[in-house]
Amino acid sequence: MSWVIAWILGLGTLALLGLLMIHLVLALVLIIPTWRICTRAGFSGALSLFHLVPVIGWLIVMGVLAFTPWPNGEASDRR
Amino acid sequence: MGVEIAALMSFFGLTSAFAIIAAVLGAWMAWRILEKAGFPGWMGLAATLLTLTGIASIVPLVLLWVFAFMRWPRDALARLEAGGAAAYAPARPGAPALGAPPRALADRRGWWLSGRLPSGGNVSLNIAAGAASWVVTGAQPAKPGELAVPDPSVGQPHARLLSAGGRLGLEDLGSGETYIDGARLLPEHGPRDISAARTIRLGNVDLALSRA
Repeated sequence: MSWVIAWILGLGTLALLGLLMIHLVLALVLIIPTWRICTRAGFSGALSLFHLVPVIGWLIVMGVLAFTPWPNGEASDRR
Repeated sequence: MGVEIAALMSFFGLTSAFAIIAAVLGAWMAWRILEKAGFPGWMGLAATLLTLTGIASIVPLVLLWVFAFMRWPRDALARLEAGGAAAYAPARPGAPALGAPPRALADRRGWWLSGRLPSGGNVSLNIAAGAASWVVTGAQPAKPGELAVPDPSVGQPHARLLSAGGRLGLEDLGSGETYIDGARLLPEHGPRDISAARTIRLGNVDLALSRA
């Protein structure tokens, strides 16, 4: 029976690793454009690293971008 | 069996509640972000709706990349503001736009006027920042509102120091000679801004001006 448990545990580890890799790749795909958006808005590009937080990371980044005045100026205060 | 079904249903309920809240929040935030970049806000709403149709989960990703690397109206407005010539210059991708200078912190420090008296002593006057005025006099026991420079060549009173709005002013009161960086200050000149001056001469006393 023990080989079954070992098999399941091994599969589980593999699946977790795979999930982690997919998450990292997806986060990177999100981080690259968001880094540019953050620096263009005047924030540190490192703000985009919140995409590494699962599930709610994008909400944090968008929240900061949406509800904080942009240090580099916004369209509204140039009109 | 009923418990499992209830648990499953509540899990789905929680998930869909999160999805709905996230969609509404996302649409709102996308609206605001696009407005800040100079686009009409409805474009953010449209992007979110397009994402919700679920044509492909790649849609928001593509939109994000496009938004990150496209030209923003805000930058064009900034360039127009910077000057007409710059507005016609071809935009080089990757060239940093000349942003506004960082907002300088107001200098709330006071001033020191310090120097050596011809009689051998030292004089050091501390002028706190803020809206106030002091009379500089040669009389030794200084009354309230007076700063003493005890020397016979300094008039009684000699000059007035005015501080307001982070600046320091000096006015000659006509009882002796006053110089700002070597230039004579006459009573008819009125108060002069000496915030950027280096030395003040009252009678025969040279005083160096520095920030406290």
